[in-house]
Amino acid sequence: MADRRRINGPVGATTPPIFDKPAGPAAAKTRDAIRKIFLKTGITPSASGSAYLELENPNPQRPGNTSLKLSCTVHGPRSLPRSAPFSPHIILTTHVKYAPFATRQRRGYLRDSSERDLGVHLETALRGAIIADRWPKSGVDIIVTVVEGDQDRDSPRAKKDDEGWDMMNVLSGCITVASAAIADAGIDCVDTVAGGVAALVCKDDKTAPTIVMDPVVAEHGSILAACCVAYLPTRDEITNMWFKGRLPGADMMVYDKLMEKSLVACRCANRVIVQELNETVKKGQGIS
Amino acid sequence: MATPKSLTLSSTTFAKLSPHPYLLANLQPADPSTTPTRTNGRQPAQTRTPYINTSSLSHAHGSAVVRNGDTTVICGVRGETILTSAIPNYRAPSPADDSGSPLDEARDYDLLVPNIELATGCAPNFLPGVPPTTLAQTLSTRVYSLLHSSKLVDVSRLRIYPEEVGGEKNKEDNDEKMDEAEEEVDEYDVAEDKAVKAYWVLYIDVLFISFDGNPFDTAWTAILAALRDTKLPLAYWDADREMVLCKRSQQNATPLNLRGLPVACTASVFTAKEKQKKGSGSYWVLVDPDRLEEGLCDETVTVVVDKLGGSTKILGISKHGGTVVGPEFMKKMVATAESRWDQIHAARVEADADEIKD
Repeated sequence: MADRRRINGPVGATTPPIFDKPAGPAAAKTRDAIRKIFLKTGITPSASGSAYLELENPNPQRPGNTSLKLSCTVHGPRSLPRSAPFSPHIILTTHVKYAPFATRQRRGYLRDSSERDLGVHLETALRGAIIADRWPKSGVDIIVTVVEGDQDRDSPRAKKDDEGWDMMNVLSGCITVASAAIADAGIDCVDTVAGGVAALVCKDDKTAPTIVMDPVVAEHGSILAACCVAYLPTRDEITNMWFKGRLPGADMMVYDKLMEKSLVACRCANRVIVQELNETVKKGQGIS
Repeated sequence: MATPKSLTLSSTTFAKLSPHPYLLANLQPADPSTTPTRTNGRQPAQTRTPYINTSSLSHAHGSAVVRNGDTTVICGVRGETILTSAIPNYRAPSPADDSGSPLDEARDYDLLVPNIELATGCAPNFLPGVPPTTLAQTLSTRVYSLLHSSKLVDVSRLRIYPEEVGGEKNKEDNDEKMDEAEEEVDEYDVAEDKAVKAYWVLYIDVLFISFDGNPFDTAWTAILAALRDTKLPLAYWDADREMVLCKRSQQNATPLNLRGLPVACTASVFTAKEKQKKGSGSYWVLVDPDRLEEGLCDETVTVVVDKLGGSTKILGISKHGGTVVGPEFMKKMVATAESRWDQIHAARVEADADEIKD
């Protein structure tokens, strides 16, 4: 049954453009740092708090080309509806939604399972950072809109199993942007939580795998495992960890190394949050 | 407790507690020497300056971000192909009746699919997890009907023909590659092969990032800017593989052919309530209303005009609610829309200049 509350388009099936030639290989640049982050708070004045995050594209084909654009709004804390049962602490609701034009394949307007999955991960990551006991009987909505996902448009390999890896980067971005938006909304947190990703990658079957921070899926031959961590730097605590993939069985240390690398990525992202929040505070003081 | 000081409310508190008297007091100042202003500091007929940025998304074929005050909108246009065999009740358009034929391909085959999404948390009353609100559905439908009634998109650019024959797009390509002898052979085939095999379907998705009133005008400006930015790759029907293929190179991508530059201009009519002694019966026209004003006005007027040809053409007038607006007012409203057109046109020129600089 078609959704009658939206405009659905033609009855017949439409297909995204299929090109006659595959695109050239993406220029692989190896970095030992995370991609540059642009973060700005207060982009939605009608919300209690909001933030916008953008990552630079290390291999730009066009001027001003960036990947991963996220917009986050926070509404609350506000009182729960009358029908809701008593809650001694704040109730977090997280929504992650891709825009229809965010990824290679057009997305529908209804949330699919991967978006729900991201929402659950985001909620766990944030719950550890918010001081929930300060707001009994209240709720807060955190909504992240993925304006553009972390996929390369002209990636030569559009493999099916690639799909999962860019979700890691999206989640780490979601955590970082939501953390900034929560701080912008003035909700008390123990620390600004930040997300970071590290992955175990190898060029082809012959070369030995290496660990990289903030992996760009198109840059690497294959990704063996990836790990996304939400981390509170000043307290040295992890609120959420998502590990996926398979590790070469011989080396038990790889897992630890992967974790450590993602923590470094978290610290880098956290520095961006702190700097942006400092700037916002300074701006506010300048006006008054 | 009740010292006089504690009774004095700040203007933001006053606005929240009783918005209607607050706006009325601003429009009708006690001191006649001060000019009446709206709560947002604008004059009644003053609009917010729009700002347009195009081509910022990489997965869409065309995109635009439009900011109108605190209302921010992202629009992405994405082309997908549909085979004519997949269209029920398909009739081939004959080249002779291109103009004035009863066949309206864009509408009959649903080639334009605009959707407006408000549930992005852009304002406290638009939260996700619920079906589209009435406003979102109304906006989508209004945009849909305006897209078709204004005949903005030239359908001939959406047709996809078999390889190497037919189609304006293909012809240019052929001229370069083939010498004249081959061309003649082609001409021979044209008669039987020049049939439309597929169409481009344009998915036009509008996302509100921030909402502060006047959603229709801003969404329409974004759609217009995104469609102007849209470049579809050169597509052809591959008879051997029985599918539509696209050329990879960017040089072959062609922009859409848009007819004119229709601009929407919305105004709300604010009336003093009957019960209020002061100024009952008088009304104010607030052009480009914000969220507070929209909530207080019952009557809204939207005029769509196009001035691109030099003379003003009215493409649509719609009015909802209220009993204040008359024919005289509509004339004034068209004049306001004309100045709004100039403003949007200037913003577009600026956006184009920015893109060339990049």
